[in-house]
Amino acid sequence: MKKFVKSALARGLFWQAVGLLVGAGLVTGIRAIMGLSTIVQPFFFTEPAWVFGAFVGVISFLVGSGVTSDWIKWARGIDTPEHHEDHYAGWEKFVNVSMDHKVIGIQYTMTALVLISLGGLFALIFRAELAASGLQFLTQEFKLFEQNGLQLYNSLMSLHGMVMIVSILLGTAGFINYVVPLLIGAQDMAFPRMNAFAYWIAPPAAVLLVLSLILGGVDTGWTGYPPLSAHSPLGMQMFFLGVFVAGWSSILGALNNIVTVLRMRAKGMSAWRMPILVWAAVATSIISLTATQLIGLSFQLVMFQRLFGMGFFDPDKGGNPVLFQHLFWFYSHPAVYVFILPGLGVVSELLPVFVRKPLFGYRWIAMSSLGIALVGFVVWAHHMFTSGMNEYLRVPFMYSTLLVAIPTGVKFFSWVATIWNGKITTPTPMLFVLGAIVVFLMGGLSGPPNATVSTDLHLHDTYFIVGHFHDTIFGGFVFPFFAALYYWFPKATGRRMNETLGKLHFWLMTPSFLVLTLAMMRVGLIGMRRRIADYDPGLGIDTYHLVMTIAGFLIGLSVVIFIYNFFNSIKNGEKAEGNLWNSRSPEWLVPSPMPAHNYETPFEVVGEPYDYGLKDSQFVKFVEPAKGAHK
Amino acid sequence: MSHSQDKSSAFGQGVVIFVYLAVLTALEFFIAISFNAVPLLVVVAIVKAALVMYYYMHVYQLNKDDSNLDPHSYEYRMGSDRIGLWLFLLSDAFVFAGLLVTRINLLGMTRPHLNQTLGLIVTAVLLISSFFMNRGETAMKHGDRKGFMTNTLITFVLGLGFLIGVVFVEWRLAAAEKLVASFGNPTDGPVGAVFYMMTGMHAFHVFTGLIFLAVVWNNARKGVYSQEKHWGVEAAAVYWHFVDLVWIFFYPALYLIGTAI
Repeated sequence: MKKFVKSALARGLFWQAVGLLVGAGLVTGIRAIMGLSTIVQPFFFTEPAWVFGAFVGVISFLVGSGVTSDWIKWARGIDTPEHHEDHYAGWEKFVNVSMDHKVIGIQYTMTALVLISLGGLFALIFRAELAASGLQFLTQEFKLFEQNGLQLYNSLMSLHGMVMIVSILLGTAGFINYVVPLLIGAQDMAFPRMNAFAYWIAPPAAVLLVLSLILGGVDTGWTGYPPLSAHSPLGMQMFFLGVFVAGWSSILGALNNIVTVLRMRAKGMSAWRMPILVWAAVATSIISLTATQLIGLSFQLVMFQRLFGMGFFDPDKGGNPVLFQHLFWFYSHPAVYVFILPGLGVVSELLPVFVRKPLFGYRWIAMSSLGIALVGFVVWAHHMFTSGMNEYLRVPFMYSTLLVAIPTGVKFFSWVATIWNGKITTPTPMLFVLGAIVVFLMGGLSGPPNATVSTDLHLHDTYFIVGHFHDTIFGGFVFPFFAALYYWFPKATGRRMNETLGKLHFWLMTPSFLVLTLAMMRVGLIGMRRRIADYDPGLGIDTYHLVMTIAGFLIGLSVVIFIYNFFNSIKNGEKAEGNLWNSRSPEWLVPSPMPAHNYETPFEVVGEPYDYGLKDSQFVKFVEPAKGAHK
Repeated sequence: MSHSQDKSSAFGQGVVIFVYLAVLTALEFFIAISFNAVPLLVVVAIVKAALVMYYYMHVYQLNKDDSNLDPHSYEYRMGSDRIGLWLFLLSDAFVFAGLLVTRINLLGMTRPHLNQTLGLIVTAVLLISSFFMNRGETAMKHGDRKGFMTNTLITFVLGLGFLIGVVFVEWRLAAAEKLVASFGNPTDGPVGAVFYMMTGMHAFHVFTGLIFLAVVWNNARKGVYSQEKHWGVEAAAVYWHFVDLVWIFFYPALYLIGTAI
């Protein structure tokens, strides 16, 4: 406990609270001098005071945790060593600032797991409310955090979306951070301090998101559309600020990743010999680097509209609410490719290992990731077919959206062709890879009806959409994420996770999930609207909802099993220090767990990465560098 | 053109580019008041941006082949830093692009009725500051620490002048003369919202640029930088030019195109 109190995380949280109070107090003081209202009920401070305080709180967290101390030294002209050795051992390493990409990768992953659990908990609460028509426990009389049951339903539903999105961003950042430098043979990321900063900016953002639930909640859904969000309770501002701050984690992580891949590859690793996950990570980073700014901007504009009365999206003042949707979706559509591309990269990366065959069409897969990323920039308005935007925009955006199916189809074709005639083994990671392919296929097939204007006008804002995107996100992120965790867990810990529990996790989660999303799509077609707390019993969908609720809780149970397995295996797992999966990839050719500065002997790339089953083919060769020679 | 020049020809190049930019800005103003051809203004802005990016920000350095260097050397890492900085600027450019889109969407072919003289003055001040920034960086490249400090100080003062000109003069004038509603006025229409947001976001970047300049100036005073090792100076200079680059587009967007309302 004492060790935790002294950790960077605890220091950061403490200073965040102090910063929040100081910032809010400052604004309150200035308002008092200007003769404006200072203390208002029910949340004590006024809205500007809360917003400024929250902003100061984030900065205090970063300075207080110590992640910026090297930069502050540089600004004062003091040199610092290029690498810092970690002073901590065990769990303490992960609650303190570290520059090691492997530690940061694990920090990201752990934070993602915490947020997934939180977002999942939110979902289970409102899923339970939906189990039958009528209001069960989230009723008008129910009161919590200044909200009645229905408002709380809205807040939980909105925050389920955003907390999950942030957790996905952190989860992908987690395995990209851990694995990419290992795959390309780098000692670390290009900018270790910025890497640490990009992680440490996420916890205060998560705090703000949770704070939004307490300060009156968020009632707009995760999209935060004005005009509604311009009149929502105070929680909306915390929500906007939290997302804005989390966005910086994404932007800086992406920047770091691109430079790392461009500049730090091992000798001989030309573009066409990069592991496929590296391609996927670069494609993802291109989107997060650039498009993320637009969600930040759109949320900022609403924040300023609320704080200063600037009428960007207020039709009464000549503003345009549809403009918000354009800015917002310019990020938020490509964002779904940020979520799925690393996951699809994991699928392509792991598949050849477990079927013992070369990856089919390597170059096409590499290009398809970039293709999805680039086409993703010109499809955003398919979210807005019913928004009242100019009608002539509909058809071009329909076709550009359908175009996404082509690079995605390339991936499926390659996966099927890779599996074809392979010697398939199915340990847990492979099960999740296969699960990802099946589930993502469902998500892919349910996509074109939403992209097509004529059908989307009917499907828009129904549960069909909910089913569709849960399929894509589970197939593109959740399954591959679990696959990656089971697969690289031994690399990080030197032990493997329990296979029986892993298989139980898979066989509990997959059927429940398929039932859940198929039922979602079915009730959507019948007429179930998304984002509402209640529905008409006359629709005859009560049974479907009950089944969905049960399936949802079974998924929750399977994740609990996973978490138990995860933490238990760190200490008690079976030892696995060698090349457990018989992989060609360089990180498996050295003993686990990985030493602090990765490869003691650097490697050179001498062959193709995925030539499994071909005689005498070699991917990498470890060579001691000649003394004094340059790379 | 050779990229490794002696000091005086590098200074000379900075002067020539500055003259080009000044002439183009005057041309821009002339086009706007005489026949207001928006496509022409866009072309002029792009030409100015290209000049700044090539000759002041040295974007071609990204293309430098340094694969034969030791990856732990200062020079190789500076190459990585440079790519990182440009990616950051690319990311930042999306914010400003988003603001331009907002401006076009909400205001269309109208613009706020602003004080043209003041607009031209602040634009000129920022442009001149960019010129001195280039001079300062060139001096440091040739090991002239004194020259760097003098020129950076001039840049800083001009930058501060720009900031004061926009936030403390322009904002007040615009509000006082009811050209746009005053800041924070709830009855404010999209004109004021766009005006304050665009100039405010840009002013915030000028402000961070000033902090950056103060930091490198102070470090140069302490003797942290040398002719070979001065990445901090280069980064501050490139960032400062980027702030100017943004204004190259924001100035016509706010002051020149369309009809004033």
